[in-house]
Amino acid sequence: MTALADEPVQIELDHDDAVPFSRLVSVELRKMRDTRSGFWLLLLTGVLLVAAAAIALLVTLLNDIELTPVTLAQIMMVPFSLLLPVLAITSVTSEWSQRTGLVTFALEPHRMRAIAAKLVMVLLLALATTVLGFAVGAVTNALYGALGDTPADWSLDASALSWTLITQLLYFLMAFGFGLVLLSTPAAVAMFYVVAMLLPFMVYGPLFGLVSWGPDVVPWLDLGFATTPLAGGEAADVTVYAQVAVTSLVWVALPLVGGLMRVRQAELK
Amino acid sequence: MIRVQSVTKRYGDFVAVDDVSFVCRPGRVTGFLGPNGAGKTTTMRVMTGLTPATSGRITIGGHSYRDLPNPGRHVGVLLDASAQHGGRTGREVLALGAHLMGLPTSRVDEMLDLVSLSETESRRRVRHYSLGMRQRLGIAHALLGDPAVLILDEPANGLDPAGIRWMRDLLTSYADRGGTVLLSSHLLNEVELIADEMVLIGRGRIVAQGDKRALLQGRGTGTFVTAVDPSAMAAALERTGYVTVPAGDGFRVEAAPVDIGRVAAEHGLVLSDLRPADGGLESLFLELTAEEQRESFGNAEVAA
Repeated sequence: MTALADEPVQIELDHDDAVPFSRLVSVELRKMRDTRSGFWLLLLTGVLLVAAAAIALLVTLLNDIELTPVTLAQIMMVPFSLLLPVLAITSVTSEWSQRTGLVTFALEPHRMRAIAAKLVMVLLLALATTVLGFAVGAVTNALYGALGDTPADWSLDASALSWTLITQLLYFLMAFGFGLVLLSTPAAVAMFYVVAMLLPFMVYGPLFGLVSWGPDVVPWLDLGFATTPLAGGEAADVTVYAQVAVTSLVWVALPLVGGLMRVRQAELK
Repeated sequence: MIRVQSVTKRYGDFVAVDDVSFVCRPGRVTGFLGPNGAGKTTTMRVMTGLTPATSGRITIGGHSYRDLPNPGRHVGVLLDASAQHGGRTGREVLALGAHLMGLPTSRVDEMLDLVSLSETESRRRVRHYSLGMRQRLGIAHALLGDPAVLILDEPANGLDPAGIRWMRDLLTSYADRGGTVLLSSHLLNEVELIADEMVLIGRGRIVAQGDKRALLQGRGTGTFVTAVDPSAMAAALERTGYVTVPAGDGFRVEAAPVDIGRVAAEHGLVLSDLRPADGGLESLFLELTAEEQRESFGNAEVAA
């Protein structure tokens, strides 16, 4: 065998050839939709979006309820928060469950760079869906004005608008964080639905509405209840901001940090 | 081109790779051989930056894998052909790789052509691929960036005999053009057919390495002889001064085949089999890894 002292052939490094971060992001965006599950999730979300707009329009027109832009914006966010966070989860977990990480992290050995590209992809997804939600909401609002008796109200509160967007981003980041921590699609999806949907509807909602101490306690536990006043354009005091900070820390920041630490170490089997 | 220097990988008390060193040179196919769980895959994962080594260092073309700015353009890696998203088409898997490495999409068709995946097959989802097709896809993916080095873990798994022959031709011509190939296998015959150099590993330690012929030489186990009349042949050899040891249908003699042929000719005896009694790579391998094998082979010296 060749002695170890033999000088092996060198590879000339060409740094112009390096993979730019933007290309990593565009690959991640493509990976989000080129699988069968990704394709159907996106398609189904589109269908849900149209359905939500139609239902909102129908219900308000038939019942003579006033449709404010803020309510409408919040309704439009529902279809996105139902299914799309799953894409944020699988962008991470499929690297382990489908074991594609063996390829992904061989082509980009700096794992945190690969994960950062996924994070940007998730934020772009949240941003794009919010914009789309507002667009469909605007069309719905115009239709409401045209078809109903009352003219459409276009007075959108900038603060409410930005908080709707921030909440949406926070939920996508929560899903992403759960994916990073658990590295398993079913576990992370289940955890996300329990934390983001089941608990608020089944437990926090009744507590908030029916129990005397509910309104004081629930916003400290749930991100949705914490952000509701801000996204709804209500006047908010320091307590509300503190509640948003606490729930974001527990449900978003901690999973993200813990998850990044786990991924740094995690073996790909 | 690939230099592995005293690499050790521990998982708690378990030593998966124990002070492993070897070199893979350009223009050569190096076979990395060992029973399951011997540390082949772990070594290759350390090589490609997926698993940090506890100690030691691996360089590819003088660089640590992580320092390659676009690794796919220098090193083609196939660690597990089954590690692909089942919901993606074969073509899409290659298109993603080409996009990431900054290659034109025409490269995808070139690679599909090279590994003989048809247009229709390439548009099917990987979930429906046989293991052999996944291996072809994996090799196509590894070759996408026209790398100087190939690292393939069990690439022949799931290939039929024709597929193995195809891969041998592919890798041999790749090495002939100056490429460096490291491929692992637990199947000796595969590696024996494909590789020029061998690295044998058992329970995390290198047990032998070198040129295939050099490994088999110097094992001085003589020649295996069978004749139409074995006892007359043995007697003739004994009279000429050779010692014969019964083995199977014939016997083993510490002599070169040409000397035995000469004795047979002198005595007018007919030989029916005459070959080096080294037992091939298989017996060498079993012997060297005897302690590491789960099954006990007893005396590993196989009488051809």
